[in-house]
Amino acid sequence: MIHSLFLINNVGDLFLEKHWKSVISRSVCDYFFEAREKAVEPENVPPVIHTPHHYLINIYREKIFFVSVIQTEVPPLFVIEFLHQVAETFQDYFGECSETTINDNVVIVYELLEEMLDNGFPLATESNILKELIRPPTTLRSMVNTITGISNIGQTLPAGQLSSIPWRRAGVKYSNNEAYFDVVEEIDAILDKSGSTVFAEIQGGIDACVKLSGMPDLTLSFMNPRLLDDVSFHPCVRYKRWESEKVISFIPPDGNFQLMSYHVSAQNLVAIPVYVKQNISFFESGPSGRLDITVGPKQTMGKTVECVVVTIHMPKVVLSANLNATQGTYNYDPVTKVLMWDIGKLNPQKLPNLKGSLSLQSGAPKPEEIPNLNIDLKIQQLAISGLKVNQLEMFGEKYKPFKGVKYVTKAGKFQVRM
Amino acid sequence: MPYFGSEETVKELKRALSNPNVQADRLRYKNYITRVIRYMTQGLDVSSLFMDMVKASATVDIVQKKLVYLYMCTYASDKPDLALLAINTLRKDCADPNPMVRGLALRNMCNFRMPGISEYIEQPIVAGLRDKASYVRRVAVMGCAKMQSLQPNIEIDPSIVNELYALLRDPDPVVVVNCLRALEEILKDEGGVVINKPIAHHLLNRMKDLDSWGQSEVLTFLLRYRPRSDDELFDILSLLDAFLQSAHAHVAVATLRLFLHLAATHPAVQADALQHTSSPLLTMCGSISRELRFAGLCHVQQVMRSQPGLFAPHYKRFFCAYSEPSYIKFRKMEILVELVNDENVTLVLEELRSYCTDVSPELAQVAIAAIGRIARTYSEKCLNILTGLLALKQEHITSAVIQTFRDLVWFCPQSTAAVCQTVEACVDCTQDSEAKQALLWLLGEHGERISSAPYVLEVYIDGLKTELSSSVKMELLTAAVKMFLCRPAETQDMLGRLLHHCIEEESDMCVRDRALLYHRLLQRGVEQTRKVVMGPKSDPSMSVLTGHQQEPVSQWVSNFNTLGPLSAQDLCFQTPLIALPEQPSNNAEEELLPVSKDVSPFIPTDDQEELNLYLGPPLSHEAFERTWLDLEVQHRETLSYTRPRITPDALQAALQLAKIQTLAFTPGDTLPWKAYLYTRGNRTLILAELLWEDPDIEGSLVVTVKQQPPNQHALRGFVSTLSSVLQTLDIDS
Repeated sequence: MIHSLFLINNVGDLFLEKHWKSVISRSVCDYFFEAREKAVEPENVPPVIHTPHHYLINIYREKIFFVSVIQTEVPPLFVIEFLHQVAETFQDYFGECSETTINDNVVIVYELLEEMLDNGFPLATESNILKELIRPPTTLRSMVNTITGISNIGQTLPAGQLSSIPWRRAGVKYSNNEAYFDVVEEIDAILDKSGSTVFAEIQGGIDACVKLSGMPDLTLSFMNPRLLDDVSFHPCVRYKRWESEKVISFIPPDGNFQLMSYHVSAQNLVAIPVYVKQNISFFESGPSGRLDITVGPKQTMGKTVECVVVTIHMPKVVLSANLNATQGTYNYDPVTKVLMWDIGKLNPQKLPNLKGSLSLQSGAPKPEEIPNLNIDLKIQQLAISGLKVNQLEMFGEKYKPFKGVKYVTKAGKFQVRM
Repeated sequence: MPYFGSEETVKELKRALSNPNVQADRLRYKNYITRVIRYMTQGLDVSSLFMDMVKASATVDIVQKKLVYLYMCTYASDKPDLALLAINTLRKDCADPNPMVRGLALRNMCNFRMPGISEYIEQPIVAGLRDKASYVRRVAVMGCAKMQSLQPNIEIDPSIVNELYALLRDPDPVVVVNCLRALEEILKDEGGVVINKPIAHHLLNRMKDLDSWGQSEVLTFLLRYRPRSDDELFDILSLLDAFLQSAHAHVAVATLRLFLHLAATHPAVQADALQHTSSPLLTMCGSISRELRFAGLCHVQQVMRSQPGLFAPHYKRFFCAYSEPSYIKFRKMEILVELVNDENVTLVLEELRSYCTDVSPELAQVAIAAIGRIARTYSEKCLNILTGLLALKQEHITSAVIQTFRDLVWFCPQSTAAVCQTVEACVDCTQDSEAKQALLWLLGEHGERISSAPYVLEVYIDGLKTELSSSVKMELLTAAVKMFLCRPAETQDMLGRLLHHCIEEESDMCVRDRALLYHRLLQRGVEQTRKVVMGPKSDPSMSVLTGHQQEPVSQWVSNFNTLGPLSAQDLCFQTPLIALPEQPSNNAEEELLPVSKDVSPFIPTDDQEELNLYLGPPLSHEAFERTWLDLEVQHRETLSYTRPRITPDALQAALQLAKIQTLAFTPGDTLPWKAYLYTRGNRTLILAELLWEDPDIEGSLVVTVKQQPPNQHALRGFVSTLSSVLQTLDIDS
């Protein structure tokens, strides 16, 4: 299935390779480099590249290309998702998935890759099980290891592998029993110049951190489950009960996992938390233009909008920006032509405004294309779809666990056209 | 990768590894080994350290063992004799009390790719298959496949195959899946693992225990199984139902594929499954990972081939976001073109219009081509947009618009007048050869409608010496000859100059030959030339109005969820146009050849089977005309209907539903009104003419039918189908 994996950074250096079957020469990556060259931007490299003898399936994450070499017909989604799983495992183990951390932890990386695939087939990918096979590095442990020379490896086999519920290990014990759920929602939206919604949808997910002893059986119910258009669950969730009663009933894996993800797309349900008044104009005579942007809260249900960042990709002819921000700081990078305005918290009494002039390359024609605004934001304690958890019940165990639910709304691909 | 001082580094490492002081200090020793591995992964050849590394494998430290094994697996095939030294340690590890060590040793031993290793590994593998730890069994099962691939010519050991089939009942789910994977590899030449009824049902019942990767693969293996009865089929489908909604896109899509495959004879079930999966597919199209988004779009595209309406309400999901990579944007535009209907056409066009001024010229051109495709159905709106784009005077936009115009005129003759009006405006700013060719074709083909056409040609002819592209020159020759045929007075002089230049001074053989051809043709007389050069002015198959054709699911399901649809390169609209068998400028050549391929041979059989009309390969205008003239009238009947008072599109669509293709009809309210139809059924080709001469007499629609070969049964069936369609239309209007 997956023959080999090459990791390549965004300037094109191949810094790690792993082969699960026979060794495939690095020269196979030349086809990838060719496609990379053609794509100009690293994001533009097509995910599936056809070569005379192989298929190269790649994903681009955190400035690293994960290039897998395939020799037989495979379901492409399988490989793409597996590569993402590899990247996520690295992230999980090392805190971030970057070239530096991978190089620093090259030994663990190899151990992980060895356990995740055998003969090209996925073997163990659940982070629960992997962490018992190979312990993640911690500062403390690496210090202890340096002193004592003990390696970070489990001396016994993970018991979970033989339990009847494959996602949960047997004999879990905690002194503090707790179950926390984070409802995280991302708004993907495109607004047009007048502020009306061209397209909006919410991608949501419930991340859980469950540390409960024994074999607890949990039931999570919502105040308004009909809101959710399209749901998909962690394999532990009993789908039949969701279909009939709209409750989520499950025996949780131990530790962190994503319980479910969902989707809300009916246009009227999607509240847009901010509005933008923007005006950008380039003058026919004289090499200059004007920019005026105001951001304000719209439907926030009484919560504060935080971490607001506005990004604009300016036309190539814009040389510099001389602006004045009433709140936050702005920065224009003349190389990448990106104007970034970091606002912070939105104050409804005093709306932040960014105003000033742009200077253009002299002699260049007035730019045809109008740049778009990308907005990043965050609202704590609010799920913008209005989803609310009703209660969490536990069966099967006697103790009383701590329970908690947090809500966060973020901007996904939130874009305003000028 | 260039690496400086590599020899020095290897020497230094060798010295360190053989230093007894270092060997005594476990930590330092391991650090050196780590360094060796790091150099190896950077592409440095450290194979000369093999002996020292083999020594290092004798340790209790598992991490060090793993590192050394990794090293040995990489270089074992280069140094087989030295690798044998390590085998002993590995075999000892295979008997270690710690299952992890056993599994590790077994896995690495199987990974040694060198001749002769199999005699050493066979016994540990067989022992591993019966190990009590599932971890070791997993590795051992895979080991069987590896062993087979090491010695491909040796006969397959039936006892191992039997053992693997037995292990399909193993309590550990990963062992089960690994057995399938291993058997598939071992039995590759015999067609892979056999899925019979007990195995299929066993796997289906284990599905929920498997991890997502296993599920996906089992679903693929199950494609080989054919249920015996409908009851069994529906049992299987209900077991699979929950997986259609799996959190993992690859499982959901694999389940859908199996569903479509199993329910091949139940189109309603297939449609239901597609309906069910549409929301996970849409979610995939909005996924954070752009690769998944891309894969989702490709799958949506496939599903749309048989269910074009399924995603139409969600068309806004396929609007491009600014930051998306171009390969996603291209796919989204392709989908948008397919999704257009009466309700959303304004919004979709507005959206596409905004892409036309994108920073990337490539994207802009694709967007313009997309508008051109939509123009075949909604020509007026699109022509306004395209004309508006010309006013921007951007070179790449103008070029794309002209090419789109050319294709549009060909497919959609009613837009000719509008195109001819606007095309004069963009004469000055065409620079690249593609655009020039398109412009010249338009000038030549529709010269009589563009008043300034000869003068534009003259400019090109005068500038011939500086023209580099030979295809532009060829197009210019054709255009000039065509122009001469319709406006001889203005063109004669410049055509003479052009032919003279091309024959006397041109160095490109193709251009010269083409010029000579036209020259000799003109010597035979104008009428002869006209017959050869002037072809039909629009696409004879009139594929324009056919709109969204629903393909059966079986057309695409075989490569659903495979690499094929994803690896098709990201060229969208241009290709199908270029690949069209009847490109406008080739008509001259094709006319010269005796065309007979359109009339397929039909074998007459005398039977009374039920009539099934079907369209079959499209019939060209000429082929129709020729056949029509050749054949005798088989049947003539006056039907008691009037001419259907609905738009041509609606009539065409209505007939299409009954599998009757409309080839041509009189536009508007002109009299007499005529329509030509054809269809196929029971191995006979049926051609028909509808004629309506007198508006005063109610119900005087005359239908004339010709057939090749004659088949009275099919003919009666056709007439009754046709009259029922007309009846329905009569009531509607």
